[in-house]
Amino acid sequence: MSKPRVGIFGLTSCAGDQLAILNCEDELLDIIGAVDLKSFVMAQSDNEEKEFDVAFVEGAVVTEENEEKLREVREKSAILVAIGTCACWGGIPASANGIERVELYRQVYDTEEDYFKCGRTVLPLKEIVRVDLSVPGCPIEKDQIIAAVGSLLHGVSPVLPTYAVCTECRFKENRCLLVKDDLLCCGPITLAGCGARCPSHGLPCKGCRGPVEEPNAASEFDILKEKGYTRHDLEKAFRTFAYSIEIPERA
Amino acid sequence: MTRALVVPEISRVEGHGRIRVEISDGKVTEVKLGIFEGPRFFEAVARGRRYDEVPEIMCRICAICSAGHKVTSILAVEDALGIQVSRQTELLRELYFLGMMIESHSLHLYFLALPDYLGYTSAIELVPKYADKVQQGLHLKRLGNRIQERISGRPIHGPNAVVGGFGKVPEASELVELKEELKELLPAAEDTVHLFAKLDYPEFTKAFTVFFALRPKDDKFSFFGNGSIACSSGDEIPLERYDVVCDERVLDYSTAKHSYSRGDPFMVGALARVNLFHKGLTPVAASALKKTGWKLPSNNTLHNNLAQAVELVYSVERAIDVIDQLLEIGPVPEKPVKVDPAIFEEGCSSRVKPASGKNAKKPEDGVQTAEKAENKPNEKKVVQGDDPKAPEMNSTEGSKPGAGGSGNAGPKLVDIDGEGYRGIAATEVPRGTLYHDYKFDKNGRLVWANVVTPTAQNAANIERDLRACALNTIHREDDEIKLYLEMVARAYDPCISCSAHLVDLVVKRS
Repeated sequence: MSKPRVGIFGLTSCAGDQLAILNCEDELLDIIGAVDLKSFVMAQSDNEEKEFDVAFVEGAVVTEENEEKLREVREKSAILVAIGTCACWGGIPASANGIERVELYRQVYDTEEDYFKCGRTVLPLKEIVRVDLSVPGCPIEKDQIIAAVGSLLHGVSPVLPTYAVCTECRFKENRCLLVKDDLLCCGPITLAGCGARCPSHGLPCKGCRGPVEEPNAASEFDILKEKGYTRHDLEKAFRTFAYSIEIPERA
Repeated sequence: MTRALVVPEISRVEGHGRIRVEISDGKVTEVKLGIFEGPRFFEAVARGRRYDEVPEIMCRICAICSAGHKVTSILAVEDALGIQVSRQTELLRELYFLGMMIESHSLHLYFLALPDYLGYTSAIELVPKYADKVQQGLHLKRLGNRIQERISGRPIHGPNAVVGGFGKVPEASELVELKEELKELLPAAEDTVHLFAKLDYPEFTKAFTVFFALRPKDDKFSFFGNGSIACSSGDEIPLERYDVVCDERVLDYSTAKHSYSRGDPFMVGALARVNLFHKGLTPVAASALKKTGWKLPSNNTLHNNLAQAVELVYSVERAIDVIDQLLEIGPVPEKPVKVDPAIFEEGCSSRVKPASGKNAKKPEDGVQTAEKAENKPNEKKVVQGDDPKAPEMNSTEGSKPGAGGSGNAGPKLVDIDGEGYRGIAATEVPRGTLYHDYKFDKNGRLVWANVVTPTAQNAANIERDLRACALNTIHREDDEIKLYLEMVARAYDPCISCSAHLVDLVVKRS
């Protein structure tokens, strides 16, 4: 059997997920040996853009060119994997979705012209094309991307956590920063898989892995509102990495 | 060899670039380096956020120098809000920073630049012939990542470094382990200098270049400054007037006081730092540099790669020293220093106390302030160039809490016309000087931010070098010229994480 043809792509992002792949120093040469790496512009210059058995795509869709590129990659790929929270949920770039583009240009570039042709909503990949597998994280976790590659090489889907960061936090027997310390911790609504990294460092979860399926944002919102946080701060915090998280209008 | 554009050109500050060169009638008629500042609108995304959330967002501007953005952002917040951190925190931040330097420089040197000099298209291709070198590069890169992971919780966008200190201080045993690894790999770092000293650096671009770098404390080589920006021309600019150095708009209304940069591009980064401050290098780095016989200062910008290799040795050596200092202190467990709640109208650093009718209104005030600022499109210019507050701030020069410097002057609050607080910080990240400049309202919410990255500063100089390169190679084949142009751009390590492999070369002849 021939080696699977793999492509690794970046749309609008910090390239952190591609870098996370390059950061698999101990495994990198093995991984590269097991696949036929057709395209990885971050690491090589003679890239072939024909057909892919698996495409890994990082970043949010910010510009028209991003969208074109994504559609093109989708068409050429049997399996498309969204890597990183930008690709899965829109990430930080999408957190400005509530602000008029004209206003953004004025604030950052002192112009009202849509210079970069992104006068549109920033979107995650799944809003534009079919996504076969999502591996979120800001950035992705090394062990999860290795597991994903390993599983895909064997023709199966990897098993990734579906529960919230709170579950992992409990396993670690951390002190609850939300209940005990009244901190704005996004653990209850955020997808696990990071080993509750932030709470384990005594810091509240920022939600960088995006939400769990059907997050109970309303309940967390009420608890924090009760503790004295304002709607303004809570909306900003909940939607830092996933603009689409719904927050109740009441209260 | 044909290089195709693989990823769309438009992206972030460190995003995708494009070189466009036009040659007609044997003359170079147009040279354009398209590096677009990114449409992720970070400065706007961070607006309205509480001060302690800002570094967590800003570090995501870039993955490779995430630690640089994180630390610089924290320093700017602390500068604005008058937070003083412990010596231990300063040292841990420096160690975190050095981890980034080791990771970033080894990634660039071994995986992005080296293939050029040896005539290959990727490090993967180098493996059969140079397996030991590729392994050496991987080991150094892994070392940089391990340091970042230990100190900040993960190699990229580590959460542990926060305003006021660290969520959790690493254990002495972890530091000892890192120190052993650093000592083990110091020879590999030295070998990197020897390896890069042996390469052939064509002089496509040799021309007089102006270099800028933060002046380190006591002129000892460092990535943290003493509060002033040094120029190879001999000028010194106080940090607060960074706009004079790097705001291109300054050139439009330039007066005599910034004549050295008027219309002239300049270079920041490893070569600038090594050119200006190599005399202050640590012993092993100094000795490795001496063995190369390299004559400094150098105006050949390709030498930036060699300078990075020298900095790689410095970073490993300095990291060992920093760990020794940390082990002398303990390290002792400590919680991040809190902001004095009295400086906020709401009276609480991170949240509003129980929502009484009166307090419930406050956040909207915060938003109001932000909106007020948003409605002044020219404010940026005013603040940078003609801010009447600037001279006043200069008087506090020297109190900059550079993580590696003293940073022990009294607390400093810059009250902006009674409306809030402003803070500026700069560090030397892998690709050059990085500035973060923030304004907060009276409740510690960000109302305005300006971030100036090294690649944005270098862009004009890269263009100048590309022109020189095209001129000097004009009689060669197109593909060959493209290769050289790419090499020139790549030598700067433009923080398109993906370096110049994302550079789309269009050579047009008529």
